[in-house]
This record gives sequence, structure tokens and C-alpha cells, in this order.
Amino acid sequence: MSLVTVGIADLKVSKDPGDTLVTYSLGSCIGLAIYDPVVKVGGLLHYMLPDSSINKDKAAKNPAMFANKGIPLLFKECYSLGADKKRMIIKVAGGSQIMDDAGTFNIGKRNYAILRKMFWKNNVMIDNEDIGGNCNRTMYMEIGDGKINLKISKKGMVEL
Amino acid sequence: MSLMEEIITAVDEMPPFPQVVQRAMRALAEPDYEVAGLVDILKVDQSITANILKLCNSAYFGLPRKVSSLKEAVVYLGANQLRQLLLSGAASKIYEKPSSGYTVFADELWRHALATAVMAQVLRQHLRFKIDENTLFTAALLHDVGKVVLSAFVIDKYRAIEQLVETGESSFQEAERQTLGFDHAEIGGKIAEKWEFPDAIITAISFHHEPARAAKEFRLLTEIVALANSLTVMVGYGTGVDGLACRGHDLLLKKLKIEARDLEKLVLLFQLEMVKTCEDAGVDGG
Repeated sequence: MSLVTVGIADLKVSKDPGDTLVTYSLGSCIGLAIYDPVVKVGGLLHYMLPDSSINKDKAAKNPAMFANKGIPLLFKECYSLGADKKRMIIKVAGGSQIMDDAGTFNIGKRNYAILRKMFWKNNVMIDNEDIGGNCNRTMYMEIGDGKINLKISKKGMVEL
Repeated sequence: MSLMEEIITAVDEMPPFPQVVQRAMRALAEPDYEVAGLVDILKVDQSITANILKLCNSAYFGLPRKVSSLKEAVVYLGANQLRQLLLSGAASKIYEKPSSGYTVFADELWRHALATAVMAQVLRQHLRFKIDENTLFTAALLHDVGKVVLSAFVIDKYRAIEQLVETGESSFQEAERQTLGFDHAEIGGKIAEKWEFPDAIITAISFHHEPARAAKEFRLLTEIVALANSLTVMVGYGTGVDGLACRGHDLLLKKLKIEARDLEKLVLLFQLEMVKTCEDAGVDGG
């Protein structure tokens, strides 16, 4: 049994049934968890920003920081462990916002919008999600059974 | 004794800001400070000396040989790096005081403080604000110090603060004020006063949620600390308990001429810098 931390702008994949992947402090960032229940392969991505075109050099070194680079990489790494796209269970959490009437601080929304767009283009369906609001989330993924738990500020632990 | 009086007593009983650090800061503020004098101030504190040598010999600097004299290390690091090391060291001890109330999420208060200091530096550099780097770093690093004292007193009021925040109408700081009659920013200002920090820093800490209330001469400093705070909370370097219940200050963005697209670039620069800083400070979670 080991707890594997996925940092901010980071991704991890595993096929060790004893592993729990965890990512802390999802604010405007998004946690994307994908899991193939047949081969029991899972991966967790914690990205910060929607689009790497703001700085291509930095994106090359930090692909998991951006949705457009991190999401394809997460799928690819799971495929390399034997996962299949058709069987993937997809769960998403995060994309919160601070209190801002004019919606200027909307990186959370933009992070979620690009994910929807990419999934729509690639025929990927989200199975469950917990998005938005102004809470902070920690996301846990059990590699043994693909179970996702969320620890949400002010609410406590819930299964996604 | 009223709650406010109890808290004032707690502020008075707070340990002083480390003397060695204060003296070193004063020495470093002189334009022609002497290295020998500075070394004399620092060498009395073994843990500070050890930290200076450790940073100087870290992989980050990649020096070809090991530096073992404090004097050499001080010269090598230079004034700015030295100030930041001393301040971070002192602040981390203050924030990491084990306590209850606000600090239920271990280490979060300190990580948030450090993140805000890094974000403030990124804003200053990237947007070329003409503001003293060290005043800004200190103010940003200590902006939430009021929470350290307050956390011991809010345990029984905490549920009431939480309920107000849950309505979605109040920010965390507004809920504190409605419930307690004052907030952590105000208390933080009183601590900074007790520590005899300059007015600029006292002001920025006191008004980091309401920068428009800051005296004009310190307004820009306070605005940058306020914005740095909002942005780090947004990204998720919050304090845990308050979630993202923090106001964004849209008008501030307009005033400081920051476009929506700039925010993403700033977050990117911040994260890269934060990873580096966490490595130096030995903090987990960059």
C-alpha cells in the first residue's frame, strides 16, 4: 500500500493495485482521473492552465501544467500500461473560483471548458464530475478498484 | 475580558520577531553595509548560519567547491538572497506553530504565505511595479500572521464563520468580521506593530483584503499583496479552511492594467518560481 502524490502541474499513472494516487489543493486547477477497470490501470493529472500557447518553451518542459498537453499525455501513459480508450472511466474535479462578480479570475472555468472541448472532439465521455464553486478539493484514486474520493473544504470526504 | 482584549493580550505575549533577523535587516538596509559587521550579527545564531551555508552549497547554485565560511557565503549570496532566506526562516517558524482552529490543515498557512510572497515578486518583476522588493516580500510573507494568533480563539466561533461563508455571500474575512467584530488582517497589523515593522508593512498586512482603505503612499504595495493573495488562493495555495472564499478585486486588475490573458502567464511564471523556492526552503508541494 503506498500513497503516490501527484504534485501541482504533474501526472502519475500506475497499475499497482496497492497504490493510491492523491493530488492536493485543487483550486482553479483541474484533477482528471482516468481508469481502465479491466486491466486496472489508472492515471491522475493535476493541471493549472488551459492552453500552452502562452509559452511554448515552458510547455515543452512542463506538459502536465497545461490541459492541451497534459490530457493527451495522461491517456498515452495509461495506454502504454495496457489501458484501452473504449474502457476508460473518466472523473473530473476542481475548476473552482474565488469570489469575483465580474468573472475576471476565471481560470477555473477556462480550465474546464477546454477539457470539455477536447473530450467532445475525441468522443470521450465524462462519467462523473465535481466542478466549480469556491471550495478546495483533494482527490484520491485507488488503483485497485478505480474508486475516486474527494476531500472538499467545508464538506469533508465524498465518493465521486 | 472581551474577546478583543484577550486577543490583544495574546498579541502582546507573542514571541518577538527574531532579533538577529531584525538586526541583520537593519544592517542590510544601509547602502554601504559591511560584510564583517553582518557576519558578526549572524554568527551568534547557529541555525541561521547553518541555513546560509546549506543554501549556498545547494545544487541550485552549483558552486564548484564547498563554501564553509559564513563570510564567504554572505558575499556569495548577496543582500537580496540573504534577506529572503532570513525572512523565510523566521516566518516559517511563526506560521508553523502547532495550533488549532485555522491551522487544522497542517503546513497550509505557511505554504500559502510563501506562495503569496513568490506571487508578489512575480507581479512586481513582470509588471514592473516600482516598489521596494524587500518591503513587498516581507509584507506578503507575513500578511496572514494574524491567523496564527486568532486561530487559538476561534475554535468555538469557527462554525458560525463557516456557516456565513457557506451562504456564498461572505468572504472568509467578512465572515470573521461579522462573527468576531474584527478580522485576521487587523490582528496581523497589530502584530506587525508590536514587532516594530515600518508603516508600509503594517498597512499592507492590515488591509490586504481591503486595499482601497490603505493610506495613499502605501496603496500600491497593499494592492499587490492583495492581488497576490487572491491569485494564490485561486490556484489552490489557500489555507484549507477558507477554501476559495476570497474576493478577487476585479477593479484592481483594471487599475494595475492586468488583462485576463496576463493572469495565465502570471500563474505560469509563479508556479515555476514556486517550485524553485520550495526546493530552497525545503517545503513540500511546489
